[in-house]
Amino acid sequence: MLKVEHLDAHYEDLQVIWDLSLEVSQGELVALIGSNGSGKSTLLRVITGLLPPTQGRLTYKGTLLNNLTPHEIVNLGISMVPENRRVFPKMTVLANLEMGAFPNKAREDKHKSLNKVYEVFPLLRERAQQFAGSLSGGEQQMLAVGRALMSKNEFFLLDEMSLGLGPIIVQNIFEVVIQINKEGISILLVEQNVPVTLRIADRAYILESGRIVKHDKAKKLLNDPYVKGAYLGTSIG
Amino acid sequence: MLQTLTYGILNGLLYSIIALGISLVFGVMSYLNIAHGSLIILGSYGSLYLFYFGLDPFISIPILMVSLFLVGIILFKLLYSRFVSLVEGLKIQKSLLVSFGLMLVIEHGATMIWTSDEKSISPFYSGMSFEVFSGFRVPLIGLAGGFLAIIVIIALHLFFSRTYFGKSVIAVSQDPEAASLMGVNVKRAFLISFGLSVCLGAIPSVLIGLQAFSPSVGIEWFNKGIIVVMLGGLGNIYGVFPAGLFLGIVEAISVFFFGAPYREITGLVIFVLVLIVFPNGLFGSIPE
Amino acid sequence: MKKALLSILIVLLISLPFIVKSQYFLSLMITLFIYVVLAESWNLLGGYTGQVSLGHGAFFGVGSLVTRLLWINKVPLLLSLPLGGLSASLLAAIVGIPCFRMRLAYFPIGTLALSMIALLTVKNIFTVAGALSTERLASYEIFSRYYLALFIVIVTIIVIYYLMRSRPGLAIVAIRDNEKAAAAIGIKTLIYKTLALLISTFLAGLAGGIYAYQHVSYYYDAPFDLNWSFTPTLTTFIGGISTIAGPIIGSVCFLALSEIFAVTLGEVHVLIFGFCFVLIVLFLPGGLLSFKTGNQVKKIREEREVKSGFL
Repeated sequence: MLKVEHLDAHYEDLQVIWDLSLEVSQGELVALIGSNGSGKSTLLRVITGLLPPTQGRLTYKGTLLNNLTPHEIVNLGISMVPENRRVFPKMTVLANLEMGAFPNKAREDKHKSLNKVYEVFPLLRERAQQFAGSLSGGEQQMLAVGRALMSKNEFFLLDEMSLGLGPIIVQNIFEVVIQINKEGISILLVEQNVPVTLRIADRAYILESGRIVKHDKAKKLLNDPYVKGAYLGTSIG
Repeated sequence: MLQTLTYGILNGLLYSIIALGISLVFGVMSYLNIAHGSLIILGSYGSLYLFYFGLDPFISIPILMVSLFLVGIILFKLLYSRFVSLVEGLKIQKSLLVSFGLMLVIEHGATMIWTSDEKSISPFYSGMSFEVFSGFRVPLIGLAGGFLAIIVIIALHLFFSRTYFGKSVIAVSQDPEAASLMGVNVKRAFLISFGLSVCLGAIPSVLIGLQAFSPSVGIEWFNKGIIVVMLGGLGNIYGVFPAGLFLGIVEAISVFFFGAPYREITGLVIFVLVLIVFPNGLFGSIPE
Repeated sequence: MKKALLSILIVLLISLPFIVKSQYFLSLMITLFIYVVLAESWNLLGGYTGQVSLGHGAFFGVGSLVTRLLWINKVPLLLSLPLGGLSASLLAAIVGIPCFRMRLAYFPIGTLALSMIALLTVKNIFTVAGALSTERLASYEIFSRYYLALFIVIVTIIVIYYLMRSRPGLAIVAIRDNEKAAAAIGIKTLIYKTLALLISTFLAGLAGGIYAYQHVSYYYDAPFDLNWSFTPTLTTFIGGISTIAGPIIGSVCFLALSEIFAVTLGEVHVLIFGFCFVLIVLFLPGGLLSFKTGNQVKKIREEREVKSGFL
């Protein structure tokens, strides 16, 4: 579904991504692993149209993404749960969720989607009238994921969801990720938390300093000596 | 005294509507449009022309709204859209400067076309007032203006809370990137918000037109508007209404005690004092 | 080369009253000098320090008012003039320093509001125009006024030139370019901003003083007119902010245009300047001078400060 070919990207005159290629097929849960500064978030920003690529091609279901604006890409079917959640702080939880259903095709099913999100995250129903800025990190993460679900899109980009969250909540969130993947949503998961990620993903790419250094089935990478040494010893969980 | 208060309230509502336009643009895209007052005065001239053709000023409001909306959109595309992606500090400064230039162009252009003579629209109901009880009269025009202001408040509230586009504007004002990730066309939201802000000026256009106006008066009205915006809290759209009423009433009371010449000065002094005590305005940032 | 041209210019200006005898022309030159001093003073605050003042007219007016009142009451000019300047600085100290502490947009708006307050206040208090006593009227001559104005222009330019090359000048520019970074390396931003403010307004007050000295019949609210606030902004930007020559070029063009159109179209020079101003802000932030000196550095800095790539 999503294909990135030979991507170069710059962030303020500094090159951060070199000749990156990856793809995610329908129904897959693909992980992108890398430490801070490896270029993971930059890659996601390029995919969603927040940052223009310097070179390379990005396609989604055959449509070229290169010069599209973020809202056009959302309307094509890609939703992102951004780094730091980015919920709208002075809007209520409910309003945030409603914003998630902004694309025209999502609006018709707004009520159905809302109920579904409340099933997955009962906490959000309780807090529906609360301002999103006053939620805890974990609650905001749930809201951000719920928002993406409201869009009825089939492809999700999940950016560093475990950042700053306690282990139990992380567990919770990842269970939800597995669940929505099972229901047919293709996912590109960007993470620093390697052990959990490799356990739930189908395949994984390892990104270092803007280049893909390894790419394989997740299970295989779990047992890979390089990965073990570089990544599995460094994170908790 | 009641009379004074009423004048104060009606004036205050007028200030609020002007401030609303300024605040909308500032809240959504961090632009300061100094030319807002001058654009309103342009509308007043428009209303004057329509009046010569026999159209009652209040009836001309919808026409003015549409025209000003279009003017706003054109101005945005021509001028203001070029620096929409800058950092907030630079955005404020650039928009300030550009609108400053625009204000001068409008003001002096208007002077060349229409001279600096003070003009006024005088329909048959100009001086009329409505007697509630002995000694207490409410001017008809003021009353109509007050009603319009209240309608605008309600309409805007519904717009922001009930329509998807309105909600998207609020989302954009809080986090444009996140809004675009929800599928909001942020550029278009900016464009329409700007147009909307100028369009809101149609009501003050008419109300001021019915009082008295001249090209140089635009910046004075902007000054009133920005004072109200700052009193209400920069970026807080709903704050302009209590702030506007506050200013209107304070001014009216000062007229009552000190006489007309000191109206402006008192208002401005109170403004400075309030800001010293409450640097973020009387109402800070209330969640919308 | 530059120095030679400069010397020729100065010699020319000094000998001008002997070459051109027209009272009108000399008076015009005085007005030009006033514009230049005002614009340079504005530039110190707006261009070099980055604090755009939309109300410099208030300081101009205060300087003018104080100078006039003192001078009319027999205080010698050499005293009334600097006192006028100091009063302007005093006003700036009272109002401007709190403005610095507040949020971003407040300084331009605050100065604009100040300018309006000043105008209204003076209009209401001084309702009658002032005139000169008969002896003063008899002894009025343009020569001394011309040289006084010329002297102040030269002093102003020298002051600004050396200020911007001194350590405080470097601090000021650092603050303009990135206030947070400047504070982080230990520059006491408030002190330097205040310094720039006080010097700038003092000079503006001096300009006002010259205006007071120049005019026979004196409308007390005239120097407080908003145009005295707007013009230095216009001329400096168009000529080139953060340069010494910029305000001069801008002022010359402005005055020239206003004279050309005075009889025909009245205010059109402001219209033209306003239009050019918008163009300059949008496309050539360094002003006309940036064609030559390559003030494109400023533009590059702005492009670096783009927040979002998608808008």
